Amino acid sequence: MKLAWPGIFSSIVASMLLTSTHVFSQEASGPESSTDALQQVVRPFFERHCFGCHEGSDAEADLRLDTLADSPPVARDGEAWKKWNRVLQRVGSGEMPPKPLPRPDKVELDRVVAWLQKSMQTAAADSADPGKVTIRRLNRAEYANTVRDLLGVEFKADEQFPADDVGYGFDNIGDVLSLSPLLMEKYLAAADGISQEALDSLSRARWIAVEPKVGATLHDAVRDVLQPLLMRAYRRPVTEQEVDRLVRLAETVGVEDASFDESVRLALKAILVSPHFLFKVELGPNPDGSEEVRLLSEFELATRLSYFLWSTMPDEELFARASAGKLRADLDAQIDRMLDDSKRDALVKNFAGQWLELRNLSSVAPDGQLFPSFDDRLRNDMRTETEMFFAAILSEDRSVLEMIDADYSFVNGRLAKHYGIAGVDAGEEFRRVSLDGTPRGGIIMQASILTVTSNPTRTSPVKRGKWILENILGEPPPPPPADVPDLNEDEQAVLSGSLRQRMEQHRKDPRCAVCHVKMDAMGFAMENFDAVGAWRTKDGQFTIDPAGQFPDGQSFRGPAELKRILREGSKDQFARCLTEKMLTYALGRGIEPSDETAVNEIVESLAEQDYRFSALIKGIARSDPFQKQRRTRSSP
Amino acid sequence: MSRSKRITRRTALRGLGVTMALPWLEGMSRPESARAEAESKAPRRMAMFFVPNGMHMPDWTPQAEGPLDALPPILEPLEAHRSDLLVLSGLTLNGARALGDGPGDHARCVAAFLTGAHPRKTNGKDIRNGISVDQVAAKTVGQLTRFPSLELGCEPSAQSGNCDSGYSCVYTSNASWRTPTSPMAKETNPRAVFDRLFGRPPAPDIAQGGLQHDRLEKSLLDFVAEDARDLRGKLGTTDRRKLDEYLYAVRQIERRISTGEKVTQSAEIESKFPRPEGVPKEYAQHLSLMLDMAALAFWTDATRILTFMFTNAGSNRSYPEIDVRAGHHTLSHHGNDPAKQADISKINRYHASFLAKFLDRLGSFQEGDTTVLDRSMIVYGSGIGDGNRHNHNDLPILLAGGGDGTIKSGRHVRYEENTPLTDLYLSMLQRMGVATGSFSDSKGELSDLG
Repeated sequence: MKLAWPGIFSSIVASMLLTSTHVFSQEASGPESSTDALQQVVRPFFERHCFGCHEGSDAEADLRLDTLADSPPVARDGEAWKKWNRVLQRVGSGEMPPKPLPRPDKVELDRVVAWLQKSMQTAAADSADPGKVTIRRLNRAEYANTVRDLLGVEFKADEQFPADDVGYGFDNIGDVLSLSPLLMEKYLAAADGISQEALDSLSRARWIAVEPKVGATLHDAVRDVLQPLLMRAYRRPVTEQEVDRLVRLAETVGVEDASFDESVRLALKAILVSPHFLFKVELGPNPDGSEEVRLLSEFELATRLSYFLWSTMPDEELFARASAGKLRADLDAQIDRMLDDSKRDALVKNFAGQWLELRNLSSVAPDGQLFPSFDDRLRNDMRTETEMFFAAILSEDRSVLEMIDADYSFVNGRLAKHYGIAGVDAGEEFRRVSLDGTPRGGIIMQASILTVTSNPTRTSPVKRGKWILENILGEPPPPPPADVPDLNEDEQAVLSGSLRQRMEQHRKDPRCAVCHVKMDAMGFAMENFDAVGAWRTKDGQFTIDPAGQFPDGQSFRGPAELKRILREGSKDQFARCLTEKMLTYALGRGIEPSDETAVNEIVESLAEQDYRFSALIKGIARSDPFQKQRRTRSSP
Repeated sequence: MSRSKRITRRTALRGLGVTMALPWLEGMSRPESARAEAESKAPRRMAMFFVPNGMHMPDWTPQAEGPLDALPPILEPLEAHRSDLLVLSGLTLNGARALGDGPGDHARCVAAFLTGAHPRKTNGKDIRNGISVDQVAAKTVGQLTRFPSLELGCEPSAQSGNCDSGYSCVYTSNASWRTPTSPMAKETNPRAVFDRLFGRPPAPDIAQGGLQHDRLEKSLLDFVAEDARDLRGKLGTTDRRKLDEYLYAVRQIERRISTGEKVTQSAEIESKFPRPEGVPKEYAQHLSLMLDMAALAFWTDATRILTFMFTNAGSNRSYPEIDVRAGHHTLSHHGNDPAKQADISKINRYHASFLAKFLDRLGSFQEGDTTVLDRSMIVYGSGIGDGNRHNHNDLPILLAGGGDGTIKSGRHVRYEENTPLTDLYLSMLQRMGVATGSFSDSKGELSDLG
């Protein structure tokens, strides 16, 4: 491993080259996006500033720029693409080359960054592809909501079914949702109970439109009920044969004096465990067709949209539009309608709950002796605040940037007391309050997030900084190198220095400093909030020092200024991060380099519309990955 | 036509409920289908217990090889079972090592713990692990019992966030894998386990309508299986895998209906194992109840194979009940700080005390002239050695139970460095009656077990 920095020599060479290299004076349309520019501009830049560490088989962070720079980025090569992306991110943000290396000249740096951006966009456009979403099973929340809307039966899936596994931060990823024998057993048992309840008088009117007429045959009566039910349950038109088959099953009940209810109930149970119900099947209007990429059918689009915004099946109006072939044409109006419906709360619970890691709040256990004010009620209050905050931005169609620095939030008496906000009456009821004159504002200063990112007995500036990098800035830090010595927490060390001093000592290893400079700066800015998010000015005997500086030189004196820097300096980054997270959730798969163009377009239209929440949702719904599907995916 | 004549069915809570586990108890008769086998050969059983974050090895490893004369501090709670224990030092889980994939030792140590495989590093796309040892055994002997295997634990799968360094949470939450792409979800609610094993006492009209119920359930399963086969034919490779999982699950349930064992719950079971209320809030109670359910499943011969995760990978749970107030994972990066190491040791010892109770239970179940414990092989340990180093060699592993007279317990054996943990699994598979000469990266049977 090379820890010897190229040092002063390279900076002298750099300044000599800078003035003499003609390619720097070219217009942006010049060779910047070509292979020529790679060899004449970018590679020499890497040689001067990066090869000291990132060359050869022992390159730092497994990033070999000498080989990477052999050819420009192509989105098809996922691994190389990720590396180019990292280069762009790190060089663009000023994190690389790290201190104490000299900063590259600004003109030279801007050229390299411009080349990187442009070549990546070109490459992305060349290989844009809607991709293939692996067939998705309904997860617990979707199952419960769907049963509610199909039959009017309340079913507590989260108590009855095993938890769904998470990939890319969400529990609705087709590749990760499996169907174990245990779960199938639960599906059958659930179908048994649900079908019984669905026939009770309270629910039956919801799905049995016409009770059997006197004199009708059992066959006809059953068929009349099952035909419309089947279409709604499978979320698509069904064939006569499908209905006939189901009616035949119903008739096998066949006991003497076979009742209508018993027959329908068996059919309903079969529907509830059928793969057509349990999976969101996307076969298209022409399953035998040969086209490799196709538009989703109107019904498939209705299903995607409905599970995206409501975590449930399409309602009558969506079905009607799809049936008329008008949903795609009416998309924006339908989205507006859907966002006006209270079912949008599913987006708060399921998207925000996972994006912000709010769901982890239920399993944190702050130490009872150190944080006696923390109990289950406060835990719920914290969750409610963040959910209401997110819901307000969604339902009032406000700018998503307010998530970073809004000057309002929602508290009840207990949470107001926890925050030290005066003038809020005691009581359980939440209300909107102004945060003017308080140090808080925005999601990252809400107690929920501050608690989820803490250890049981103390804050963790690293976890908090990492959380911001991952969930706000979309720059997940690479994992730490192996064999890093741990933070010294023995009594002697704790007595001799604050957490911050000890961590700064710890960070002297340049391999650590690269990522930790920014991560810890943000984490320490939040040190005024303790492990359950209450305000403090001291940590034990040490006065909190929340000031910090970013690698690109921007400095801040504390959380309020950090928030402003993030809002002003990183809004594009935040918009992109949120877009990628929400697109992942909407599609049920991870984001690939071939999605880059779609992401760019969504982010652009979001910015053009003042970052209004609805612009994000409409941009996603209109994007190719959401509207189209590749037939198959090659498997490794 | 009449709508008033409605059969009162059992509710969802009852589980499938059509069959009842038959306690393999003295003096009780077994159903015809299984009797011949049971009489010719008493059931052997295997259980695999995972505990997180490695172990404080100096307090785990016995001083000397050979007879277990004195137990190290972590194992002291198992004193009553000293003669039932075989402590196995020096075993290695190569699949959990980075092998070029960088960090993620916690995810890998759960994924590899029972598979020996090196899981593919992915957050979701193209998940791939190996087949776990319990599932290999279940393939052969699983058909002899109502449940081929049981997967239990105390923590549901992670609910959000990134679980470990770019590995999907599916790796951190699931130790049992039926195929390289199909994890076996675990049950974490003791009441749900109980209801799965027994259901609630059937209403009188159901008892007589049972056959009719089975017939309809079979028609229903035939119906949906046909749906699934038909759909499968129209899908691509990755989608087909999901339908394969579906079809496998349906077959398992069909099998259970057709072998239909119907036995009511005995007063003896009820007195020893009352139906749990739900998920207790306190970890200790939760863990105890889940272990009770595991013991109950063995006792009643509902299954002979089970896996049990004390927590998911890298758990940061604190244990205020034993005055360990920092998070376990945070502590495990102890930096050789003696205070932290002492806390880790306390947690390790605490966990072991629950294993002791489980062994007590199994030891109290008489089966012929021996006990369920004597007929079982129970692996307990972690896929990480020292939590600070994240090493996957010299793992903390013990084997409890006599394996039906095939294991010579009451000893500490140290193996040559880098002996695969999967050698132990191979030896266990052979004892379970699986005819195989290898498992995962095994090099051969583990020597010096019996």
